[in-house]
Amino acid sequence: MSYRDLREFLEVLEKENQLIRVKDEVMPEPDLSAIGRSAPDMENGPAVIVEKVKGYKNSVALNVHGSWQNHALMLGLPKDTPVKDQFFELDKKWSDYPIKPVWVENAPVKEVKITTDINLFDVLPLFRVNKYDGGFYISKALIVSKDPEDPDNFEKQNAGTYRIQVKGKDLVGIQPLPFHDIAVHLRKAEERNEPLPIAICLGNDPVLNFMSSTPIEYVQSEYDFAGALKGEPIELTKSEQGNLDIPARSEVILEGYIMPRERRIEGPFGEFPGSYSGARLQPEVKIHTITHRINPIFENLYLGMPWTEIDYLMALNTSLPLFRQLKRDFPEVVAVNAMYTHGIGVIISTKSRFGGYGKSVAMRLLSTPHGMPYSKIVIVVDEFVDPFNLEQVMWALTTRVRPDKDVVLIPNAPGMPLDPSSEPAGMHTKLIIDATTPVAPDKARDTELLDVPDKVDYWMNYLRNTMRKEGDK
Amino acid sequence: MICPRCDSKNVDLLTKAPVDDAWEVYICETCCFSWRSTESDDIKDPEKYDKRFKIDSSKISSLDKIPPIPELIKKKD
Repeated sequence: MSYRDLREFLEVLEKENQLIRVKDEVMPEPDLSAIGRSAPDMENGPAVIVEKVKGYKNSVALNVHGSWQNHALMLGLPKDTPVKDQFFELDKKWSDYPIKPVWVENAPVKEVKITTDINLFDVLPLFRVNKYDGGFYISKALIVSKDPEDPDNFEKQNAGTYRIQVKGKDLVGIQPLPFHDIAVHLRKAEERNEPLPIAICLGNDPVLNFMSSTPIEYVQSEYDFAGALKGEPIELTKSEQGNLDIPARSEVILEGYIMPRERRIEGPFGEFPGSYSGARLQPEVKIHTITHRINPIFENLYLGMPWTEIDYLMALNTSLPLFRQLKRDFPEVVAVNAMYTHGIGVIISTKSRFGGYGKSVAMRLLSTPHGMPYSKIVIVVDEFVDPFNLEQVMWALTTRVRPDKDVVLIPNAPGMPLDPSSEPAGMHTKLIIDATTPVAPDKARDTELLDVPDKVDYWMNYLRNTMRKEGDK
Repeated sequence: MICPRCDSKNVDLLTKAPVDDAWEVYICETCCFSWRSTESDDIKDPEKYDKRFKIDSSKISSLDKIPPIPELIKKKD
């Protein structure tokens, strides 16, 4: 890859015309939030560097992952690579797991060390992400913790993204949802009434943020996967306390510990389904050490009504594990698009082995670890339909679905509480739509698909070249 | 000063701007709400704060705990 960390990736984006610098001084509210909302709505969704925020010392990076162009550049692909091609490239790189990290001395993230008079506001240009959030949030962190029962096990160490609310100069709240890995670590620490050391790593190699929001298995290392995606090892170093492995080239590390058996009010916070999630009692973290690079960049993200940066970040990293789990039992599956609202909506492309096969594939999806609670609407299309192309999917719905036999409801099934339609929260009815062409012993009216005319490849090239020549004049 | 969200008087100065005395940030020790002195009135003013997001401080202790606190493991002798 042509970058080693956030700074070098920002240079790549700038070279590719995927980065905007705001040189005018802006207010923390409402400007940073408005910029984070606007950038992904633009054509090509550029990243934005805000150089001067009123009252603060350091700059802010927003929307680093917030477009398919940036996503392609993260994977080392040309920026106009179609989504389906990015999916297959990711699938290929995935097979290189694990590529083990290397540990380095003199890590850039240790250039500056703060252990007394800690004030997060001195280092981070903190701001309110959405208007009725309970406070200033760190929405794009990679958080490292270890299994207290097996602290030397590198694979059981977790690097995950969890929302962080700033509640004091050296105090933050964290949201460890029970089905995420950090909650396993915390439970074991709290059973012993011990603090859980964590490191909140900000401003990372984009591949690290990609992996920290990917639902991999408990005994798998995000760092080993990040190495596989890059084709080269990630550089790590040791935290000042707690013996954690942290990225050596992050912009800022906040080291601290979750205080055991305590909960205080956190939230509300605007979340990815486009609505606020309510206030709850959640754990708090005492920060005892900050290390950072000279002139650190604060990378954060806006999230809200889809699509925003987080939807690009969680798109293919949700789709790929589901694809791999389906493919194991159903080799006819071609691709899985689980990028709508974090997999609440899923489109599967598959060849049908025999009549009713599409429904079976959908039912398998609904029994995978992520699909069981999250996925509510499952659409299955033929192998020649691109599930990432909604125009083609709409074609399949309009020409391949007979509602009396192809639409199935499964009431009272596991759901996802952040889905505001789930009632009671965490329960919903599943909807399966089989939009595949019937195969024997299923029956349908005889239809013949239209072929493309002969010489289409020739004329496509001809027309493209002609257009290019016109553009050069 | 009163918390705009839960009307508590238990409000502290959290920090001042690191540069230029540009603003201050306040925090409510009752409901953990924080706000900046330069934000709009419908964030800072208890009368104007949106009623849908107001918090009744007497109900905070009964909110859901995420994640639940587990039982302590008894130490073996």
